[in-house]
Amino acid sequence: MTTIVHLLPIDLSAIGNEHLTLALIGYSIVFLSLFLLFIVFSLLPKFLTRNLRRKFQKEGGEEKAALAGTMVQGEVSAAIATAISLYLEELHDEETAILTIKKVGKSYSPWNSKIYNVININRFQR
Amino acid sequence: MEGIVRFVENSGFANLTPGHLLMILVGLLFIFLAIRYEYKPLFLVPIGFGILIGNIPFVEHAGLHLGIYEEGSVMNYLYMGVLKGIFPPLIFLGIGAMTDFSPLISNPKLMLLGGAAQLGIFLTYIGAISLGFTNPEAASIGIIGGADGPTAIFLSSKLAPHLIGSIAIAAYSYMALLPVIQTPIMRLLTTKKERRIKMKPPRSVSKLEKILFPVVALLLTGFIAPGSLPLLGMLFLGNLLKESMVTKRLADTARNTMIDMVTIILGLTIGASTQATTFLTQQSMHIFVLGATAFMFSTAGGVLFAKIMNLFLSTENRINPLIGAAGVSAVPDSALVVQMEGLKADPDNHLIMHAMAPNVAGVIGSAVAAGIMMSFLL
Repeated sequence: MTTIVHLLPIDLSAIGNEHLTLALIGYSIVFLSLFLLFIVFSLLPKFLTRNLRRKFQKEGGEEKAALAGTMVQGEVSAAIATAISLYLEELHDEETAILTIKKVGKSYSPWNSKIYNVININRFQR
Repeated sequence: MEGIVRFVENSGFANLTPGHLLMILVGLLFIFLAIRYEYKPLFLVPIGFGILIGNIPFVEHAGLHLGIYEEGSVMNYLYMGVLKGIFPPLIFLGIGAMTDFSPLISNPKLMLLGGAAQLGIFLTYIGAISLGFTNPEAASIGIIGGADGPTAIFLSSKLAPHLIGSIAIAAYSYMALLPVIQTPIMRLLTTKKERRIKMKPPRSVSKLEKILFPVVALLLTGFIAPGSLPLLGMLFLGNLLKESMVTKRLADTARNTMIDMVTIILGLTIGASTQATTFLTQQSMHIFVLGATAFMFSTAGGVLFAKIMNLFLSTENRINPLIGAAGVSAVPDSALVVQMEGLKADPDNHLIMHAMAPNVAGVIGSAVAAGIMMSFLL
């Protein structure tokens, strides 16, 4: 115990009011800034779907208007996106017979050129 | 003959001290942990190698311009990027270009966990004061609790440049040891039933929301804590480059080439700054102890706040309190720790997407905390 006290000489009297104030205010401000972000981004989807809600309300009344606020789950979106991607890439049973051979372009730089590489010159001599 | 004597006197063997040997061992340990166990290898390899470079003994101030603290040496020039606070914002630019904020946008209440998990910063600040550190030093040490290396380096470069080495090494070491530090606290503060809570899958987020997020978040946080602008400005710029979809080349450069280059130089110079002659002090040991407690308090803050939030939420909207631990930033490591712990309680419960929300909120929270400290103390 004495060793710990010697290694970590804690002096609680060194903590003044100004330190506690800084800690308390600092923590509160961090919270406040994230709380404001929380408020803004909780309201934003409602704001963004405002026009859609009005349109739906005109078309089908309150029942349809409520649909404007409903959000699609990420998993559902991922499934739809995968299906579209597979469709567009034509990954199905009947593949198209068109084959394309892409030319592989090599980026040239004097730093990777064999012409400038001394070791390669020796290799050619051998 | 005189030349030979001078050569021998200048050699590493002649100037070797136990301190140098100890630090070389620490450097080797970092490299071993990074390569063998893949603990934060992108940081620990350059830092570990930097420790080796910084601790090969030589005659200091003999006009050789070798040491990182000697004006005119190559390492000293590279170290300017750390001392002047240039590298951390550049790293934040890359992080912004890599980060997907959609888990946070889809469930904004999880932002509060990123705030709660900054508890360690402020408690450690008080702890450091009680150990005799000055106000700016204590603030720089406290920020280790944010579990965000660049933020810790940025704040200490402004408030306590002489402590950068110790603070950065403590921050990155504990980030590598996150599973060891966080897991017992998470288990201690939660019941098995709580760890099994399944959360609602996040909703999909529109492109407009993703574009608006960096702009709105910058304006809000920037006006509240302008001190955090160098970090948050770059973070949100990087994110806008990514989400706007019209600056793909810039986003690619920021999240690949640029962040890699800066990480190498930052890690190397931080490692080299741990020269045994200036690093091995009792102060450094105190910083290591305080850093560990900062991580623990931050983890506890996040987990406990999630439990408090659950008291006010309906059953279907309840939060798995484990994700509170991810509020300590350390993206994405702490979210991975949460995922692993969640899977241990219920093999079907994947928490990673939910944990990413407080995780990225923690990055914002720790940068805001750094900005507040700067505004108070500079």
